[in-house]
Amino acid sequence: MTTDIVTKRIIRSPKDAYGGLALMLLAAVAWWGSLDLAGSQGTQFGPGTAPRLFAGLLFATGFAVMIMGLCKDGEKIERYGIRGPLLIGASVVLFAAAVGSFGLPVTAFFTILVASAASHETRWIEAIVWAAFLSIGCTLLFVFALGLSLPLWPDF
Amino acid sequence: MDFIANLALGFSLAASPENLLLCMVGVMVGTMVGVLPGIGPVASIAILLPVTFGLPPVGALIMLAGIYYGAQYGGSTTSILVNIPGEASSVVTTLDGFQMAQQGRAGPALAIAAIGSFIAGTAGTLLVALLGEPLTNVALMFGAPEFFSLMLVGLILAIVLASGSVLKAIAMIFVGLLLSTIGADLQTGVPRLSFGLMELSEGVSFVVIAMGMFGIAEVLRNIQSPEQRGIVRGKVSNLMPTREDLRQSAGAIGRGTVIGSILGVLPGGGAVMSSFAAYTFEKRISRDPSRFGKGAIEGVAAPESANNAAAQTAFIPLLTLGIPGNAVMALFLGAMTMQGIVPGPQVMMIQPGLVWAVIVSMWIGNVMLVILNLPLIGIWVSMLRVPYRLLFPAILIFCCIGAYAVNNSSLDTILMGLFGLIGYWLIRHDFEPAPLILALVLGPLLEENLRRAVIISNGDPTIFLTRPLSAVLLVVAVLLLAVSILPSIRKRRQQVFAE
Repeated sequence: MTTDIVTKRIIRSPKDAYGGLALMLLAAVAWWGSLDLAGSQGTQFGPGTAPRLFAGLLFATGFAVMIMGLCKDGEKIERYGIRGPLLIGASVVLFAAAVGSFGLPVTAFFTILVASAASHETRWIEAIVWAAFLSIGCTLLFVFALGLSLPLWPDF
Repeated sequence: MDFIANLALGFSLAASPENLLLCMVGVMVGTMVGVLPGIGPVASIAILLPVTFGLPPVGALIMLAGIYYGAQYGGSTTSILVNIPGEASSVVTTLDGFQMAQQGRAGPALAIAAIGSFIAGTAGTLLVALLGEPLTNVALMFGAPEFFSLMLVGLILAIVLASGSVLKAIAMIFVGLLLSTIGADLQTGVPRLSFGLMELSEGVSFVVIAMGMFGIAEVLRNIQSPEQRGIVRGKVSNLMPTREDLRQSAGAIGRGTVIGSILGVLPGGGAVMSSFAAYTFEKRISRDPSRFGKGAIEGVAAPESANNAAAQTAFIPLLTLGIPGNAVMALFLGAMTMQGIVPGPQVMMIQPGLVWAVIVSMWIGNVMLVILNLPLIGIWVSMLRVPYRLLFPAILIFCCIGAYAVNNSSLDTILMGLFGLIGYWLIRHDFEPAPLILALVLGPLLEENLRRAVIISNGDPTIFLTRPLSAVLLVVAVLLLAVSILPSIRKRRQQVFAE
């Protein structure tokens, strides 16, 4: 209980405070990533000038957002659902990893099934039929109708 | 004379059977997706971008434009029928539109929305055609400093008009600009911020980021909350508005068209602002303001006309200056770049056929919307019944395939998913993704013009103030920013968005 009261007093708007902090972090990573790039020479911009300029500005704005979060009352962050981001993320990774060797229809079918698990409203028989329909439909649309060169069949 | 010759050139290209078909498919698919809950115009275009990859440039842009109007129009259908605005620009339509539907007058409300949109769309298209050439001529006098200042104005307008905190919108602009620097340096070709990854040395495709931020992030947000589902009461019958309806809405359509056309041209403005402005204006000049909110037909006619007019005139800065005014136009600019078109005033000189065909196809698309949508209303209503549990896997697989297809690269798909998670995180922390996308697309142009300006002036930063056009633009930018931070305006701004 006590910790709750303390954090409430220091961080009055967690959405802004953590949001600003994350942006500062992003800016710092970008700054570090562009350290090896040459800066401006005389009147010419170097390749590193713009990234460092934008990173610096982002750092400053992120800092301001964080300070705002400490000074002004704001909303609490609602609880994150773990299931949604985890399973949607997994389905995207599955697609990326499998499409090259298993081809579009097969990969799409399993990707859709994994994604379907992300919602607790999913009904499984319906989801399997829908996955089959979508994967065939997408293959016909993208590969045959639109002529995109996606791998079609499993690569044995 | 030029005006007629240009339109004729546009017609000759846009009316080819292939382009007519693409326009029709775009309008139909756009309406279908726009009707679906939780997918607005920006998400529709982002998700459907890969469909246009294999098309020639003219066809791709015509189809995308069709998707855009269709999605706009689909949004108003759901506002009227089930009180769920498909997108932000038809939020105000729910006020009187849904009331009309509850009084059994859904048919006339839909018909007036369609007629108003068509009249406004026609006026908007004519305005684009009229202003296109003179504005392009002005833009051709622009040098690097002027372009830089102009883009600054665009970005600042995006900040001013973002709905949340000004500071957070500024932060999103910088994130977008930073992301835009990933990839090969424009002048030296050195890979930047690639963290040693080969694939990143070419930069992250904006399609990948847009699909993640608008497609996947929205999915993540929507599956979190239990589904809000509107129920369509009864059947939509008797589409014909009465003579009284037409008389009442004629003025509202006219005024909405004018307001929408003006606000649409402003960068950062566009459909959302104009529909709010038109509704407020109608209410203020009405002899009996108490009718509004209880099924006044002007309350449907004015905002629907305004958002469609704005949707058209928003193309003016994009087609003449190569500068997108809002997130939808940013996606268009990205699509143009993917088709190998370098956006800017020179496009109208080098490829007049492309520009005029797109302009004319806007009008053709509006005709199709009126002809197709009213008879097909039954289909759109049935689309409303598609549950989200079926919808989101479809969105997901479209995004996966789309991201992969940009370069046939698995890393792009992974990055798309990553940006989906980032986008979800941003939404949860009340950061808006729209200014980010705008900055991402404008970033390379902004940097290039800044660098060129610095070279021209031998490193003297006052060049932006000593060139008159550039100075005027910068003064505008500073004024806008100052105004948005003033407390009294800030309060008004919050009121407008809260309404």
